[in-house]
Amino acid sequence: MLASTELQEGRAIAATEAPAGGYVGARETKHNGDLFLTGRAAYFNDIVLPKMSHAAVLRSPHAHARIKSIDASAAEASAGVLATLTGAQIKEHTGPIPFFIDPAVFGGKTRDNFPLAVDKVLMTGQPVAAVVAETAADAEAALDLIKVDYDVLEPILEADDALKDGAPIINDGWDDNVVITLPFVEGDAEAALAEADHVIEDTFEMHRLSTQPIEPRGNMAVWEKDGSLTFYGSIQNPHPLRLHLSQALGVSESAIRVIAPFVGGGLGLKMHGHPEEALVCVLAKIVGRPVKWLEDRRETLLIGGIEQTHRFKVGFNNDGQIVAIHNRIVANVGMLGSAPGWGMAFLSALGFPSGYKVPVTDVSVQVVSTNKGIWNATRGYGKQGTNVVIERMVDLVARHLGMDRIEVRRKNMIEKDEFPYATNSGLNIDSGDYHAALDKLEELLDYEGLKREQAKLREEGRYLGIGITFELTPESADIPGTIVGGFDSAQVKMDPSGNVTILSGVTTPGSGNDTGLAQIVADEVGVTIDRISVIQGDTDTCPYGFGNYSGRSIVSGGNSAVLAARDIGEKIRGGAALLLEAGDEDIELIDNLARVAGAPDRAIPIAAVAETIYTLNFAIPGIPEPPLESTRVYKPDNIRHTPDEKGRIQPYPTYSYAMHGVVVEVDPETGAVDIKRIGIVHDCGTMINPLFIEGQMAGAMVMGLGNGMSEELKYDEKGTPLSTRFKAYLMPRAGDVPAVELVHQITPSPFTLLGTKGAGEAGVGGGMSVIANAVDDALAPLGVTIRELPVSPPNVLKAIDEAGSNGGRG
Amino acid sequence: MRPIELTVNGSSHELEVEPRELLVYVLRERLGLTGTNIGCDTSSCGACTVLVEGESVKSCTMLAVQADGREITTIEGLATNGELHAVQQAFHEQHALQCGFCTPGFVMATVSLLDENGDPSEQEIREGLEGNLCRCTGYHNIVRAVQSAAGQEVSA
Ligand code: FES
Ligand code: FES
Repeated sequence: MLASTELQEGRAIAATEAPAGGYVGARETKHNGDLFLTGRAAYFNDIVLPKMSHAAVLRSPHAHARIKSIDASAAEASAGVLATLTGAQIKEHTGPIPFFIDPAVFGGKTRDNFPLAVDKVLMTGQPVAAVVAETAADAEAALDLIKVDYDVLEPILEADDALKDGAPIINDGWDDNVVITLPFVEGDAEAALAEADHVIEDTFEMHRLSTQPIEPRGNMAVWEKDGSLTFYGSIQNPHPLRLHLSQALGVSESAIRVIAPFVGGGLGLKMHGHPEEALVCVLAKIVGRPVKWLEDRRETLLIGGIEQTHRFKVGFNNDGQIVAIHNRIVANVGMLGSAPGWGMAFLSALGFPSGYKVPVTDVSVQVVSTNKGIWNATRGYGKQGTNVVIERMVDLVARHLGMDRIEVRRKNMIEKDEFPYATNSGLNIDSGDYHAALDKLEELLDYEGLKREQAKLREEGRYLGIGITFELTPESADIPGTIVGGFDSAQVKMDPSGNVTILSGVTTPGSGNDTGLAQIVADEVGVTIDRISVIQGDTDTCPYGFGNYSGRSIVSGGNSAVLAARDIGEKIRGGAALLLEAGDEDIELIDNLARVAGAPDRAIPIAAVAETIYTLNFAIPGIPEPPLESTRVYKPDNIRHTPDEKGRIQPYPTYSYAMHGVVVEVDPETGAVDIKRIGIVHDCGTMINPLFIEGQMAGAMVMGLGNGMSEELKYDEKGTPLSTRFKAYLMPRAGDVPAVELVHQITPSPFTLLGTKGAGEAGVGGGMSVIANAVDDALAPLGVTIRELPVSPPNVLKAIDEAGSNGGRG
Repeated sequence: MRPIELTVNGSSHELEVEPRELLVYVLRERLGLTGTNIGCDTSSCGACTVLVEGESVKSCTMLAVQADGREITTIEGLATNGELHAVQQAFHEQHALQCGFCTPGFVMATVSLLDENGDPSEQEIREGLEGNLCRCTGYHNIVRAVQSAAGQEVSA
């Protein structure tokens, strides 16, 4: 029962004719925008079920402790309370939460994560008990009455401390605190560094951050009378979650229905593996009523990502050619949770050397568990780790040689005739023209003019900085042995009135791929977009799919919709040919009409053809078979799971990329960074809808700038989170950024049906890298080298102080 | 419990509320107007913005009793006879919404902003919307939508 709202469905605002040239490539606005603009779109918190009750979660105030005992009896007796549950009881109700990506699949360590801590807590905020009550306020109030007796242990918060000899081991049964170490080695780095004209050795620290969609997470479960389970959640991956709930709860997958209503931003944070998903199912079973849990912002801010240190050497020759990279990455993943976050560390190492032709690389990442909060995916999924550090390296090389950084990039980037290009870590970059993108960026920014302005301002004692970075975004991953799938599905159905419904395995937590799917299908079937509905996020109605991550929705979901829609188009053409006495191949489908090419008066409404197929199928010999329904899967090319001679696989079909340039002015007195301009050249292959791509890119870039400048999840020395509200976790506001100047470049992917590449993640790593390089450039006259993010005012002042104290040598 | 009277989107409601009950909960839970969203509990995000007597107010910062006797407009009440308000239309045309969760708040804040200043500069628009957070759009298209609703040429 919905309060005058609608689940994932909606119609276009006004009837339209197909744009000249078709819907694909057109700047269509959101096909169901009216739902959002009038407040009728149903998000999780808008769903109201009869007899709904509310859960609240008691969380550990300690980062590392043994639970001696929990007494929930006073809470149980409190007003409005229906039930309590503690960690001591949890195993009676559920198994451990399956990992989205289990480190054990790659030879790493794993652990059993239960929705409530059983005997030991590993992070502040880990759930230890839960209350269900008539109202959320009653449930919250009862939490105060639960008494937990902890034996508090010394927390280990920093990865380097966790790696020390003799460091306490935080996970029972492990022999150290390392989850896994993943090496990616090509050639002999030591020898290559010894031969290089120059070697720079340095470090870079990336801080802990979080994506923080404006809508927090929420889950609700209800056990139906027949014993089946319906789960509603603000989640990104309905079918995979159904599998994992089935495994944890020991209930058949076919007895579980997972529904994701409209999602107010996913950004990786709503990929599952969180304790509260299975928890609400268990609680709903206990109380025999629907149980709803809605996250508050303090809880959302417990989830982090990215925190990693790079200790690197880069070898290069006098001409600017980079010949070797040696990099040891240590990633602090906090408590190892079941959500897919930890895997980002894998990607940070795998991505080297990005779009540069560096013959020798020796990169490894050590994934370390500590008593900080869990990681979950953050938009960009670890690619920002590669991106920031390699782009810092290139700028360091340029500065060392006194070369322009654009020239160093030109010298080292993969040439356009070298694609597909096999990288040192085994990736196969599909296509691109990096040099053309760099040329376009130079022109967009008037780079030479900017440099002159910078020189002039420097004479006046002002610090203008120009940041230039390249960003590679491998997209649409398929990771073997996990529920990270690279293909996806679509069902396209036409009813006898000629209306079309698309049911999709991918989901839309804000990206707008539903409109993209409607555009694609409209062209193939020849109906106007107002006749198309899109349904996503329901495991009972949608075909099996993996949902949203890795910029995959159009690559896998869009192309599967093409295939399914073509099947329908073929039947309509067949029916129309019969009715119009023409050949199938002469029928064109456009503007809701089937017409004979070149004879505009010989036409019939598509709806009439559909109706005929459904109602006169026995009467008209040769008319195509009903139903007008097709379900298809699209598997992109270029993915290779058979390991090559070095044991490497190729998990990505497409590699989008972008060149970024920002102009900043830094105030060396306050450390404040003022962003003056943002310029981007972006290539994600064929574009279904440039308007949406631009929206994604502007959003990703501003998120990346915030990630790199002001956002940081901080902890005190006891492991207590300090960034617990939006007033302390500072995300960009409208006044903090200028307009985004964006230029498209299009090199279609040879490996996907429509030539699309992944979109939606590019910009996040770019924002982080380009702000680091811009601030570094601004403060170069002071001898500053940026070695950490965020470039927040205190960190900028610290960098200036450090440069001053070593005589300006950086 | 205290009796109050609210006029919401033109219809009047007589309600009994707790003295500490926030306006946003009355709108969402008592009146079923779920278009007004909640994104935080520290009055930081603006997702809950509504108009009280034509002025934008974060409805999570106002007690229902403070709204007693006043006229309130929520996102559900902005369109007239099925015609989108100029600000809604501009948000649609400029693609100023992605996940849409912040959108009702931004639309209401924009209506109020343009009411006070019909011809704002880009800087005034950006500063005027400082109370609202969006994590999807980077604000780029939101600014363009405000310019368009103000009848200005939208900047590139
Ligand atoms: S809900 Fe965030 S300001 Fe009101
Ligand atoms: S559109 Fe998603 S938060 Fe603004």
